[in-house]
Order: sequence, then C-alpha cells, then structure tokens
Amino acid sequence: MAEVTYREALRRALDEELERDERVFLMGEEIGRFEGSYKVTAGLWAKYGPKRVRETPISEEGFVGAGIGAAMLGLRPVVEIMTINFILVAQDMVVNHAAKIRNMFGGKVGVPMVIRTPGGAGAQLTAQHSQSLEVWFAHTPGLKVVAPSNPRDAYGLLKTAIRDDDPVLFVENLVLYNVTGSIPEPEEDFTLPLGRAHVAREGADLTIVAHSYTVRRALSVADRLARSGFEAEVIDLRSLRPLDVDTVVESVRKTNRVLIAEEGWATFGVGAELAARVGRACFDDLDAPPERVGGAEVPMPYSKPLELAALMLEDKLEAAARSLLAECGLVEAG
Amino acid sequence: MAVEVPMPRLSDTMEQGTVARWVKQEGDQVVAGDVIAEIDTDKATMDLTAYEDGVLLKILVGEGESAELGTPIALIGAEGEEVPETAARGNGPSQAAPREAEAPEERGPEESPPEPARSEPPIPQGAAATAGEVKASPIARRIAADAGLDLRELAGKGSGPDGRIVKVDVERALGKEGEPGRAAAEPAIAERAASPGPPPSGDEEVVDATPMLRAVARRMSESKATVPHFYLDAEIDMGRALELREELNQALADGDDKISVNDLVVRAAALALIENPKFHRSWHDGKLVLHKSAHIGIAVAVDDGLIVPVLRSVEQKSVRELARESSDLVERARAGKLKQPEIEGGTFSVSNLGMFGIPSFSAVVNPPEPGILAVGAAVRRAVVIGDAVQIRPIMAVTLSVDHRATSGAEGARLLASIKRLLEQPVLLLA
Repeated sequence: MAEVTYREALRRALDEELERDERVFLMGEEIGRFEGSYKVTAGLWAKYGPKRVRETPISEEGFVGAGIGAAMLGLRPVVEIMTINFILVAQDMVVNHAAKIRNMFGGKVGVPMVIRTPGGAGAQLTAQHSQSLEVWFAHTPGLKVVAPSNPRDAYGLLKTAIRDDDPVLFVENLVLYNVTGSIPEPEEDFTLPLGRAHVAREGADLTIVAHSYTVRRALSVADRLARSGFEAEVIDLRSLRPLDVDTVVESVRKTNRVLIAEEGWATFGVGAELAARVGRACFDDLDAPPERVGGAEVPMPYSKPLELAALMLEDKLEAAARSLLAECGLVEAG
Repeated sequence: MAVEVPMPRLSDTMEQGTVARWVKQEGDQVVAGDVIAEIDTDKATMDLTAYEDGVLLKILVGEGESAELGTPIALIGAEGEEVPETAARGNGPSQAAPREAEAPEERGPEESPPEPARSEPPIPQGAAATAGEVKASPIARRIAADAGLDLRELAGKGSGPDGRIVKVDVERALGKEGEPGRAAAEPAIAERAASPGPPPSGDEEVVDATPMLRAVARRMSESKATVPHFYLDAEIDMGRALELREELNQALADGDDKISVNDLVVRAAALALIENPKFHRSWHDGKLVLHKSAHIGIAVAVDDGLIVPVLRSVEQKSVRELARESSDLVERARAGKLKQPEIEGGTFSVSNLGMFGIPSFSAVVNPPEPGILAVGAAVRRAVVIGDAVQIRPIMAVTLSVDHRATSGAEGARLLASIKRLLEQPVLLLA
C-alpha cells in the first residue's frame, strides 16, 4: 500500500493502463508538455511521447468527437476536459453520439472512451466554472458516470473505466486532488467494479448518501452527530450510473431515515432520484420522508461570503440531518 | 403575510427560553439584523435578532414569560397589516393557527428547493383534530401493527411534525427503552426524579425554577445517574504556595488583577492534566476523547445559581494571565454576560468553597469531563514533619472521577502531580 494524493492515484492508473494496453492514449488541452491544468498527466508525455499523450486545440467538440471516432475504430481514448463546465460545448458529441452509437449501430460497434473531468466549487471561480453537472449525464442512458471520493477508489475505478467497452464519464473534483489515501501496489492490478456503492461509515440512526467530495463532508458531519449521540451511516455512491440502489435500500431498512447530499443543485438531482427509489423500496421502513440537500439554487456568486452561503457546506448538511432527526423525535440530550 | 418569530435555540442545551426584555415594541419598525428582544436561556442572556424586515405586529410572549423552542413569540409583517385573529400564543413548536381539517397538509422540507413562497397559508394544525385519522410514519405503523398496538391511543401526541407518531413514540409506548441516550426516548432523568409532590400548604409557595436552575438540575441529575463517580482525597501543604502568591501580588502593579489561590490551583490542575494524559480524556459511547490541551472550568456561584466558565489552554498561560482572565470571566458570569462558547468545552473543572471556610467537600462531575477537583479552605493545622510538629496551612481537596474514563490509579497520579506542583509552587511559573 502506498500513501498518495488523489491526483497521483489517477496518474498512476493512467500510467499503468498506458503501459498495459497500447490501444490506450490520452487527449486533451495542455496535458502534454504542461502536464495538465491539474497535473494529473505529470510525466506521461515525457514517458509515452506525443502520439499517446496528445495535445489538442481548445475545441472540446472537436477532440471529444475525435475520441469517439478513435474508440469506434478500436482505440481506447482517455479524454481530459479541463473542468466539467467546458463539456457543455461538446454535449452533442457526448449525449447524441458517444451514448447512442452502440444501440444505433445494432451493437456492432461501441465507444470504449473515458472522459475525465473535475467538477466542484469553492475557489471563487464563479457562476460558469463552479458547477457539478454530473447528473446531466447520469440522466442519459448509454453513459456510465462515476465520481470517486478518495484515492483508492479513483485508482481502481479509473482502471476499470478504461477497460470498459462503453463510454464512461469519470468525474473528479477540484478539492479532492490533494486529498491523500492509500492505494494498492501496481503488481496487484487492483480494479473496482463500476456501479457499487460503499458503506463509508456504519451507523444505526440515519443514512447519509453522497458522492465525490460531499462524502468527506458527510463523514465529518457524522463525527459531529456522534458527539451528540447519533450514529449516521454514510454511503459513498461512487457511481451515479449505474446507481447502486440496493446498498442504499439496505441501509435505510436499518436506519429508517435517509438524507441525500450533493454539491450540485438538488432539484432533479441525485437526491431526487434516490428519494423516489427509496420512497418506493422502503416505504414501510421510513420514519420520515426522504430528505435531500444541495447547493443553493443560484448561479454561483463570485463574492466569497455569498459563495460560502451558496455551497453545501458541513453546517448546512448537519442542520439538515439534525432537522430530519428532530422530525423523528430524536433531539440532542442536554 | 405576517411571519412568526420562533423562540430560537440559543444554546446547545436550552429547551425553552424566557423573554427577559422586548427591545422593540409592537408597532416598531424592524430591519433584519436588529436586536428585537433579549432572551434568558438556561445559561446566559442572549440577543434575539430579526431575520425579516417589517413591523413588529404583535408580541405573543411577554417579558418574564417562557416558551418552548420553536414556539412563535412574535409576529413581524407589513405596516398596517391585520394580525390574524388566530395568532395566539402557541404551546409548542410549529403550532400555528388551527384551520379547517380539509386544508391540504403541505410542508416543504427546510432545504427543499426552490424556496416556498412566503405567501403560503399558515401550516394547518395537527391530525389530532381529524377524527378517525392517525398520522404516523410508516415504520411506526409497522412496529405498532407487529406488536398489536392501537395507534389511536397516541394520535396527535407523537414527536414528529404536527404530532405525527414516529418510531420512538411507538417504542416508548411499548415500554422499550427506545434508542439509548436519547432525550426523546424517555423522559429526562431530572423530570422523573422531580415527581410532583403534594400541593403546597399555606406556608409554602411554588415558583418556577429559573432556566439556569433547571439546566443545573438536569445536568447534575444526569451526571449522578449515568457517571459512575469515585472520590480521592488529598491534603496539600499550601505554605509555599501562599508565600509565592503574597510575593507575586506585592510585586504586581496596582492595576493588575491579584492572583488568587484558585488561580494557582487551576494552573496546577492544568499542568497535572498534561502530565497525566491517561486521566485527561472523556468517555464517549465506548470511545475515549483524548484531550491535548487543558480547558479548565471554574464553578462560579451567581445569584441563585451556578455557572462554569472555561479557561482555555491553561497550560500555556502564566498565572498572571489566568488571574486576569478568571476575574473577567467571574465578573461577567455574575452579570449574566457570558457568551455560549465561554461556558463550553471544558476538559476538567475546579470548584472552590474555601472562601466559605468549608474544610472539604466532594463535587459532582460535569460530563463529559473526566473529573472535578473540590477545593476546601487552607486551614492552619498541626502536622508532623520529620520528628517535629509544625503548624502548616493545609488545604484538603477531593477529586471526583468518572470511572468510565479512567481509573483510581490514574486519579491518584493526577492528585500526586497537583500536590507536588502546589507544594513546589515555583513549578507553576515554569
């Protein structure tokens, strides 16, 4: 086991897959000589050369389209989009082509492509560069969407995503890149299956479901609740599509209460989806309606105080959890 | 549409608040952020600020009156707006004007986007009024059905919104302990202990206990009922400590706060706690919270009550700083001006009744702290030193300890450290 950053875990996964399979190649803006805006591709251009670590013009629609073509012809492109906000100009490529080609070609050809891109907010990058748009893609049949919360998952899931025969949107998070954790040694060829949630913390009183960076917030809120005598179970979804509803349902059958937290807007979000599914699967197990919490429903403001007010920070998550517990008659003992 | 101002939660432990004073009166303009009232919590007097712009239309809870958390205590609305006739003082949280039973029971969850418009009708009253209909959560219904419990007995009396029966209510009705450690799962220990006595006779009078007394009653009852106490006594020769204090105080400028015996004891306790990390930890549900810094609560008697302000990181402070901080805290404690963070987060407490001439006593642990040191008066006594009898000022102390957090041996080591530090008090200056 090695202790590495999330960034380094991704880099190692890329390195190992480039090494393992010569069909794998990387494409994106400034990922070569400059080693990527967030340095995830550090050293790879030097090691594998410009043919396998390809610099692209600032033209997301063009290079995502090129990735799709390369994938259809048998290569395994891993396309980096600098942040998820820039994927919007390539939306037609992702949603109308990558996601649909396998079905529209009668199963004869697929698109084994990975798009890596970070979402998230918190650095005053304002309205256009602070979004968590992964639910747009999780909405779309034909795509897989993963969003790991820690280095080990990032490492194992990226390797699996590259080996998958269908397009995978691999969502990272700006705030996660410097988070550290242990990952297995390369010899183990460790991979994680797509679509399996992980119980990150066990508890009996309340289930908090989250993905990506919000898992860390949920764990810290669980610690705070524990100091008041409430044990929250935290579920890290790891993948939004496929969505591991079973793990959530199993937890809610135990706790009778569920709060779904996400960094993005809650309307039509992960919480909306899970609330509906849990509401049906766990109807007779619930002690209160499923609750959800997300970022404020505004374009992200630039002003720091306003940004802090809009973000789904721990305090907001904790307040939602306590409110749900209070609704079930569980209030902190003096 | 008038907006209700609920009794806010101003301290972690408050369950109800008392309006000490209305700063704004009916008819006054208020702007969000204005202080509209002062509220006595169980610990301190806090400002209540408005979150709405408008006019204070009606005061629902008068000065000196108490209300539970969440109970509307005032209405803020537009100038000239009619106060709804139904706006009466509520008895509990979320209780608003009763309306027709067929009114839709809609209530957006707090975080649910988008924000519900402010112009929605008041939330209808609970299900209790609706004959034959019982509001209960699905899991509560399922447990009740499995146990053959008729939920109609609990109708409208549940702990959920508008009296919804929830899981803990059913568990309580079934006589289960419910989920342990929960305020809602069983009546507070203090309440159970204080079963209603016989009605007062002619020469007695019944008055409401102040919020502070109620908080003390609850916390102390919980401590004695749940914290396994044990006690260790020690006698400390305070001769050199008293001399040091005298010398320090003579050397200090006139304006400086004089160093008290208690300041020396607090400093000694803090250094001893750092020396004895196996004592300096709190029990929490099978886990131990290890304290790295000594935050010492000092018990202060105030008018008909008790409050324990906390001196932070005492191991890092000089006795002079301690003297200044403790006299400031004591002064503000007596004036009721302490802020909530100043009375939280202690890792140990010192209670001193020496000034009342009490030779020794034992104190009740203030959870989750692992212990409290009860300090008596330094009394001149004949003691045997070597082969001679000498008259020395002896201070008796008693350490009360939470036996879940630590052991007798660790308590003894802590006391030995405190004794050594006070008998060689120059160490307190190191």
